[in-house]
Amino acid sequence: MWLQVVLLLASCAPLVLAIFADEVNHVDFHYALLGIPSAQRTFFHRPSSSSNASLLYTLSEKSFLGAVNPKDGSIVWRQNLARWSSDAAAVESFLRAGDGENTIVSALGGCVSSWGALDGKLSWMRHFSNGPVRDLELLEHESSITNFNSRDVITLTGDKTGIIRRLDGGSGSTKWEFQDESGDLPFQVSTSPAEIFYVSLQPSLLKGYKIKVTVLDARTGQQTKHQILSSENDISTPESVLFVGSNTASPIIVWTDKGQKTLRINVVGTKQVHSVSIENETGEEIRRVEVKAPRCLSCLPHFLVHYETDSSSWAEVYHTDLHSLAVSKAYKLPRVSEKSVFATSTRFADVYFTRITESEISVMSSASKDVLGKWLRKQQADAHVFHAASEVVIKSDSAAVRFATVLDSGDWELVRNGATEWTRHEALAGAVFASWVEMDGGEELVHELEIEGHESLYGAYVHRVKRHTRDLQHLTRWLRELPKRIFTSLLTDEVSNLDGFGLAKLILVATQNGRLLAIDTGKDGSVSWNIKAAETDNWTIKAIATNSGFATIHAEDGSSLSVNITTGRIISRNPGTIRIKSVAMLTDEPSGIVIGVKYDGTPLQSINRPGHIVTLSDDGRALGWSIRNNKSPLWEFLPPRGQRITQATCRPSHDPVASIGKVLGDRSVLYKYLNPNLALITAVGDNSATFYLLDAVSGKVLHSTVQTGVDTKQPITSVISENWFAYSLWTDVTATSDAKGYQLSISELYESSVPNDRGPLGSANNYSSVYDLDAPPRPYVISQSFMIPESISHMGVTQTRQGITIRQLLCTLPASNAVIGIPRPVLDPRRPVGRDPTASETEEGLFKYAPFLEFDGKWYLTHSRDIADIQGIISSPTLLESTSLVFAFGVDIFGTRVTPSQAFDILGRGFSKLQLLATITVLTVGVIILQPMARKKEVDLLWQS
Amino acid sequence: MASSSSSSSLHPEPPPEWLTRLHTPLPPRPARTSHIPDPPGYSSKSTGKQRNQQVLSPSTRPAIETDTLKLKKAWEIAFAPSKQIPMNAIMMYMSGNSLQIFSIMMVFMLFKAPIQGLLMTNTAFAKFETDGTRAKLRGVKAVYVLMQLLLLGLGVWKVNTMGLLPTTRSDWLAWESERQPLERAYFAFG
Repeated sequence: MWLQVVLLLASCAPLVLAIFADEVNHVDFHYALLGIPSAQRTFFHRPSSSSNASLLYTLSEKSFLGAVNPKDGSIVWRQNLARWSSDAAAVESFLRAGDGENTIVSALGGCVSSWGALDGKLSWMRHFSNGPVRDLELLEHESSITNFNSRDVITLTGDKTGIIRRLDGGSGSTKWEFQDESGDLPFQVSTSPAEIFYVSLQPSLLKGYKIKVTVLDARTGQQTKHQILSSENDISTPESVLFVGSNTASPIIVWTDKGQKTLRINVVGTKQVHSVSIENETGEEIRRVEVKAPRCLSCLPHFLVHYETDSSSWAEVYHTDLHSLAVSKAYKLPRVSEKSVFATSTRFADVYFTRITESEISVMSSASKDVLGKWLRKQQADAHVFHAASEVVIKSDSAAVRFATVLDSGDWELVRNGATEWTRHEALAGAVFASWVEMDGGEELVHELEIEGHESLYGAYVHRVKRHTRDLQHLTRWLRELPKRIFTSLLTDEVSNLDGFGLAKLILVATQNGRLLAIDTGKDGSVSWNIKAAETDNWTIKAIATNSGFATIHAEDGSSLSVNITTGRIISRNPGTIRIKSVAMLTDEPSGIVIGVKYDGTPLQSINRPGHIVTLSDDGRALGWSIRNNKSPLWEFLPPRGQRITQATCRPSHDPVASIGKVLGDRSVLYKYLNPNLALITAVGDNSATFYLLDAVSGKVLHSTVQTGVDTKQPITSVISENWFAYSLWTDVTATSDAKGYQLSISELYESSVPNDRGPLGSANNYSSVYDLDAPPRPYVISQSFMIPESISHMGVTQTRQGITIRQLLCTLPASNAVIGIPRPVLDPRRPVGRDPTASETEEGLFKYAPFLEFDGKWYLTHSRDIADIQGIISSPTLLESTSLVFAFGVDIFGTRVTPSQAFDILGRGFSKLQLLATITVLTVGVIILQPMARKKEVDLLWQS
Repeated sequence: MASSSSSSSLHPEPPPEWLTRLHTPLPPRPARTSHIPDPPGYSSKSTGKQRNQQVLSPSTRPAIETDTLKLKKAWEIAFAPSKQIPMNAIMMYMSGNSLQIFSIMMVFMLFKAPIQGLLMTNTAFAKFETDGTRAKLRGVKAVYVLMQLLLLGLGVWKVNTMGLLPTTRSDWLAWESERQPLERAYFAFG
C-alpha cells in the first residue's frame, strides 16, 4: 500500500530539479584544491605596487598554479598547467614573480607561460622543443621594463645542450638566444642588473663536475667571459650544488665538500671560492644543508645556511660585501635539539628570517641577532613541518609574521603570530580511491535481537525488559537534549537538518601519498580524521570493506589495513605477499569475505561455498571461476583478435528494483530483464569499440554492440544498472553513420519484445545458468544514441534505498569541470523517433526523440563550481528514499545530495512549523474561550423555548 | 418540543368535531342518488387515503380491471431505469476519464442508484402485488432487474474506462516477483 503511495508520489514529481541558490553549501561541499605546495614554488607576492595586500602563490606538486587569499585560504584563481604539458609529473617546474608586479611566470616541462597575478589570465605561452626548462629567471634590469610593465624572462632549456633565451615580458617573443655548444650539463641561470650568469656543470676527466660560469651580456646575449671553478672533488652529482642564488645583488653558488666539513661559497662572476668550516660541535652527521637567500635585487645580500642532523638543527647568517665581494659570517642562530624550518621574507631592503621549530616561532632580521618576535608553538603529533613561506610586517619595534606551512599530513595551514588561521587539506588532491562506510549500523541491536529470537518466550521477555531497563540510563541525556532538539528543529529548515536520516555518512578517501582521510558528509564534508596509512608515494587501493565499525583497506601490494572508522586508529596491519590486481567482495556473507585476485586473473584462495567469481587477467581475458576451485576457470572470454578489454563493469552491489516491469500506455507490461550476474565488458579495437554483455555465471554473451569510427584515445566509459546500460565515446563519420562527435548511448533490456510476456522462461521463479542450457535467455534490447556536447570521463548511477525514485545517470565532464545528473526518463530508448508521441506514449512520459542531447543547466549538480580533474564518482543511498548522496573525487573533492524525483518524503522549505504551532495554539485558545459561551447559549435556549 | 409533547400527554383533549369528520370516510352514496351528477368542481377523491381505500375496496371496481392497471403501472416502473441509460451514458461519456471529484461522484451515484434499486425490487412492486398479478409480476421484476443491471453495467464500463478495474497485467505487477538466478557471481573488476 505504502509502496504504491510512494510510487504515485514519485511519478508525480517533475523530471528535473535544479539546485537552488540557497541550497549551495547546505546540501553540497567542495574542496577546491591545488595539491601539496612545493617548497621552492610557494611564496607571498604583492600583485600590485599600489597596495600592500599580498596573495599566496604556489605551483603545486600536482602542477596546479594557484593564488590563495591568505586571509581565509580561499582560492582566488588556479590553472592546471598539466593541461599544456604532457609529461608534467616527471619534470621540474618553476614559478617566478617580481615584487609589486601583476605578472607571474611559470615553467613546466617545455612550456613557459606568463599569467596575470591578480586574475590568473594567461598573457602568453611558449613551448620549447629542445628539452625541458632547466631554469627560469626574471631579468632585473631598468631597460627591460617595457610598456606592459612586465619584466623580461630568461629561460634555460635543454637536456644536453643548454639554450638561454631572453623572452619579452609582454609578448613572450624571443629577444635573443644563446646556445652553449660545449656539451656541459645545463644547470641554472642567474641574473644581475647588467649580466646574465649561465651556470653549467662541466664533467671533469676522472670524476665529478667543475662549475662553469658563462657571463652573457643582458642586452645582446653575447658571451663576455667565462670562468671554471675547480669543484670536481666536491661535486659528484648536480644535486651536490646546494644553491645558486639568483636575482640578488650578488648572486652566489654554495656547495660543501664530501665530508660536510667545509662550506664553499663563490660569488658568481668572481674566481674566488670562500671556504668556511662548518662548526659541528657534537660531531653528529649532518643530514641536510640548506641555503636560504632573498630573491630580490634591492635586498641586502645576506643569506642563511641551515644545518640539520638527526636530532638537532642550527643556522648561520652570512653577509656579502658588495664592494669587496667578500663573504663573512654575521651571526649564528642557536642550536636546538629539534627540527627547524626557515623561511625568508623581504620588506624593502631588509631581509627577515623566520625560524619554525616544534616549540616556537621566532623572527629575526638578517642584520642583527636580535629576535624581533617570538611565539610559542604547540606541535601536534603527525604535524611535522616540511617547509614554509613567510611574510613579515615590522611595526616600530614589534614584528608580525604570517607563514604558510606544509605539514606532514598534507595540510597546508597559515599561521599568523602563532595562531592557525586556516587549514587546507591539500593531501586530498591526490585522492585515488574513495568508499562509503557505514558509521554505526546498529550491529549491537541486531545482535541483541538475534539473542532474543533464539531464546524461549519467557527468557526473551526477561531479556527485553533488561535491555529496556539498560536503555533507561540514556533517558536523562535524552531529556536534557530534548529542548535543544525541539528548538533546532523549529528554527532550521528540514533540508539542512537531516543527519538522522542517514545523510551523515563517512567517506574514506585514500590518497596517492599513503594517507587515509575520513570525510563526514553530515558536517559539510569536514575531515574527521587524517592518518598516515602507508609509507609510499604511490598507494594503490583495490577495495575498502566495512564491517561493524572497522574498515579494511586492501592495497595493490596485497597488504591490508584495518582502521577504526570513528577514530581513525589503525587496529591491525597485514603485510602483503602477492600483488593483487583486484578484489572480489562476498558482500552477502555476514563477515564479508574478501578474495584477492592475482594479475593473471587467478583468485588467491578457494572457499567451500557456492558462488562464482569473475576476474580480468593481464593478457586481456575475462575469466569465470567457481569459488570452490581456483585451479582452473569455468569459462574464459577472449575478445576477437585486435580487440583488448579496457573496462568491465557490473551492476552496483546495492541496486534495488522497485518494479520488475515497465507499464506501457495501454496498461500492458514490458518485463525488465533483471539479472544480477550481468557484466558489461568494453573491448577496444583500432578504431572500434565493442560492448559485450555477459552472463557472469555461464560466460554466455547475451548481447553485443559494435561502434565503428571510434577514437580510442578519447574517454570511453560505461555503466550498467537495473535493466539498462549506457556508454559514451567519440565517433567519426563512417560508411554506416553520419554522426561525428561525442555520443551517449543507452540500451534497455527486456525479457521479451511482446508486452505481457515473460520470455522463454515464462513464469519460472528461478533458473540456473549452469544446469539449464537455455538460461539465461537473451534479452530484448532497445537502444538509442544521443549526440552530446562534450566528453564524459566517468559515469555512475544514483542509488536510493528501495529504487523507487527514478535514477540519474551521473556523468563527469572533464572539459567543463562539472558533474551532471541526467534523469533517466530523458534517456529512454523508447522515445518515438521522427514522429510525435501517441496519446498512450505521452501517458508513459515519452517525448519525441531528438538526436542532440543538450545538457540542461538544471542537470548540473555542481552548478557554477569548477571541479577539477575528477577521477571517480560514487553514490550511496540514505534512509530517505528520495535522497541519494553523490561524491566525486580526483584533484578536487565534491559531495552533494540529489533528489531525482524531488524531496517527496521531507517537509519542504515552505512548511513553517512555527506557523503550524501558532495556528494550533490560536485554535486551542479560541475553543477554550468559546466553550463556556456556547454551553451557556445552549442551556438558555432550552430554558427559553 | 419535549415540553409541548409532555403537555399534550398530560392533558388529553378529545379531538374536535371537524377533525373526526375529516378523518372518517364518506359514507357510500345511496344507490338511488347515483344518477345525480356531482356538482361542478367537486371531486369525490378528496384525500389520498380515501382514494386508496376506494381503490382497494373490491366493491368499487372490478378486480380484473385493477389488475391490468396495476400490471401496466408495474411495467412502467420496470422500464423506468432504462430511460436513464441514455442520459447517464452521455453524462459518463462527457465527464472524462480522469480521476476528479466530479467524475468520481458521478460514478458513485451511477453505482448507488441501481444497487439500491436492486435491493428494493420487492418493495417497489409490493403495491402491485395481488393474488392475480403475482405470477405476471415475476416477469416484470426480471425486466426491472435487467434494466438495473444494464445501468450497473454502464457504471462498470465507466470505471473500466477510468482504468480503475484491475483487468490489465500492470495491475497485478506488484504481486509478481523478480526471477532469481540460482547462482550468484561476484565481480573482481578492480
